[in-house]
Amino acid sequence: MSDTTLPVSARPSHFRAATDETPTARRVMIGLAVGGLLLLVFAPLIAVFAEALARGWGAAIASLGNRDSLAAIRLTLTIAAISVPLNAAFGIAAAWFITKFDFRGKAFLITLIDLPFSVSPVVAGLCIVLMFGANSAIGGWLVANGYPIVFALPGIVLATMFVTFPFVARELIPVMIEQGRAEEEAALTLGASGWRTFWTVTVPNIKWALLYGVLLCNARAMGEFGAVAVVSGKIRGQTATMPITIEMLYNEYLSVAAFSLAAVLTLLALLTLLFKTLLERHVAGQIAANHRH
Amino acid sequence: MHIDIDEIAKTFGTTAALHPVSLAIPSGALVALLGPSGSGKTTLLRILGGLEYPSSGRVLFNGQDATGMTVQERRAGFVFQSYALFRHMTVFENIAYGLKARPRGSRPPRAEIARRVNKLLSLIQLPDIGARYPSQLSGGQRQRVALARALAIEPRMLLLDEPFGALDAKVRKELRQGLRDIHDETGLTTVFVTHDQDEAMELADLVVVMSMGRIEQIGRPQDIRATPATPFVREFITH
Amino acid sequence: MARPLIHRSPMPGLGLSAGITLTMLSLVVLLPIGALLLQGANFGLSNIWATVNRPRVWAALYLSFRLSLFAAIFNLVFGVLLAWVLVRYRFPGRRILDAAVDLPFALPTAVAGIALTALYAPNGVLGGFARDWLAPLGNLVFGPFGAQFTGKIAYTQLGIFIALVFVGLPFVTRTVQPVVEEIEREVEEASATLGASRAYTIRRVILPMLSPAALTGFALALARAVGEYGSVIFIAGNIPMLTEIAPLLIVIQLEEFNYDAAAAIGIAMLAISFAMLLAINLIQIWSRRRIGHV
Repeated sequence: MSDTTLPVSARPSHFRAATDETPTARRVMIGLAVGGLLLLVFAPLIAVFAEALARGWGAAIASLGNRDSLAAIRLTLTIAAISVPLNAAFGIAAAWFITKFDFRGKAFLITLIDLPFSVSPVVAGLCIVLMFGANSAIGGWLVANGYPIVFALPGIVLATMFVTFPFVARELIPVMIEQGRAEEEAALTLGASGWRTFWTVTVPNIKWALLYGVLLCNARAMGEFGAVAVVSGKIRGQTATMPITIEMLYNEYLSVAAFSLAAVLTLLALLTLLFKTLLERHVAGQIAANHRH
Repeated sequence: MHIDIDEIAKTFGTTAALHPVSLAIPSGALVALLGPSGSGKTTLLRILGGLEYPSSGRVLFNGQDATGMTVQERRAGFVFQSYALFRHMTVFENIAYGLKARPRGSRPPRAEIARRVNKLLSLIQLPDIGARYPSQLSGGQRQRVALARALAIEPRMLLLDEPFGALDAKVRKELRQGLRDIHDETGLTTVFVTHDQDEAMELADLVVVMSMGRIEQIGRPQDIRATPATPFVREFITH
Repeated sequence: MARPLIHRSPMPGLGLSAGITLTMLSLVVLLPIGALLLQGANFGLSNIWATVNRPRVWAALYLSFRLSLFAAIFNLVFGVLLAWVLVRYRFPGRRILDAAVDLPFALPTAVAGIALTALYAPNGVLGGFARDWLAPLGNLVFGPFGAQFTGKIAYTQLGIFIALVFVGLPFVTRTVQPVVEEIEREVEEASATLGASRAYTIRRVILPMLSPAALTGFALALARAVGEYGSVIFIAGNIPMLTEIAPLLIVIQLEEFNYDAAAAIGIAMLAISFAMLLAINLIQIWSRRRIGHV
């Protein structure tokens, strides 16, 4: 009963619920919020498409068709296709280990998993270079045997995995803590095997959180710039990902080409947000339905 | 202070929470609003406290129209069902809150605030808990702190929403007597909402039985027991 | 009795999940960070100090941390406001606004970088506005006091600040939003019945309740801004001593294959970041203790 409010028309102008701000304060705050987001978020968004289409649709689409841009798109898709599933597997394993078992040093482990969030992407790239670069012990040996890591695909994948490392685990851990262990325990007492329990009990419970984590991980993996800039060597057509190619085109004053490629990544970002919003609404509806039971 | 409720009605959207109801509460009385959930008793209490505005009708304090008074102006000591203690403040700070929130001119000096808070802590018989946080208190202690916090502003009336609702049976009995004692000591006009007829009958001078947004009967506990006015009242008090 | 390292559990998959977790964590995160620290150790503390203790490096570190702090403070205030508006008010476009808050998470930093530069460059829409209208206005009002505005945003520290605000924008809002949703109305009503004005309630009841979450968001935004590279280098102009950020120095050293110097600056950045995060964590523990054992 406490959260029901009067229809505005029934209130005399001077009466205000105890939990309301004055209409003026409210208008000012909404104005600041809308204005701030227009300047900070919507304006850059519009700028990307405006610059891409500055010379019309034809020029924008043609600029995407050059060999370097196509190679960049292919490379970025490849990197995401390798690093995202690996990080998803890690996230599931880590969340299982952390939420289904009790062990010493759990908080420390979680801190270590979160570490990449507080390390600059450039430093992350630097770490990979120092570990696997040609003048390191491991890197030197690998290069000598024909498996270069840095300035090649494996290094870019490693750098991408570093910066996106916590995404899936972070989404799963809170959900799995909330779910508890009772359902899995029940399945085990009913004679289900470990894998069967995982697939039939755990996965259905965490699938939305997993999907959300994978989406975020994917968006970041395709868009990573700092770490990749350091390890890729920026070899045109070979190790230049989409973001790196955007930088090269931009620095060559090929504005339409740079922004057209940027627009492709922006569309991906918008799609991710759309998915996220739909997912949240879906999950919220599901939670509400559970509460009604 | 005596309170008059004059043809108060309240609708939420299209549903009527209160049909026009009228009620006179004499000064210094201890009144129970008794009824099942959805009877409109909490809505009536919130209208008295200024937390809701009636769709029609008037509220009079000592014969003066108070309908348009803001919550802050009413100075009604309100005890919420959840107690609504500020959990980032100690018990002392909770009780002192209303005094500190006053504008500079009418704010008592620091020493006076401390004196009054300590006096209230002994009134609720918890003199030593001033430094604790609400999360460190039992349910019964929280309820008494909420009461002390409401009393600190020197309220003109005391309004309590299901004050014992969240407590177990034993504590409930003890605190009933506590409320009675505090009422007798302060002489404040007190209105409390309850769905428990034992509580209402045992504690109140005047019981107002409500159902479906209407007042079914107003009377002293013994009169209501002896002569229920409607079949609903008979059913409800014997359950 | 000592606690066992791992409690016995009927749950399956201990070996597998622990194995994958620890192997991948080591391979992807811990060993590379170890390689950085090893490089630093071989280089030696005095050499690291000599590398960092140069005006150009100090200027870059100071610039990075100072502007990150300003951007995080801006995001703290704006993020709390945004969280409040999105949860409490109903107005047309609210859902779109709510979704838009996450854009800086989803948009690649390089894209954000060139988009912000295009906007705020002198020939961009907002940059042109600032040069043609805001700067003359500012000079008209503050000129007599000796202030001089050019209205230049991109390629100045103001441009870096805007980019850092952009990348840190979602953190505070997203940590504070659920807390705003959980505030019981009765607590606010209680404050009002005790005679407190709305402003007093916000100051003494609501903001203290939001502060632990806001501080967490602030720390995340700060950490992100300090290390940010992609969105900044386009708008910064990268003038040594003036608009050169610390991560860029690492990139420059790497391009010259000067691994020792790169590692030294990287270690300095890590050290300062961890010191700041530690300080924020301590503040948080302190404030949580004050707010009670929830």
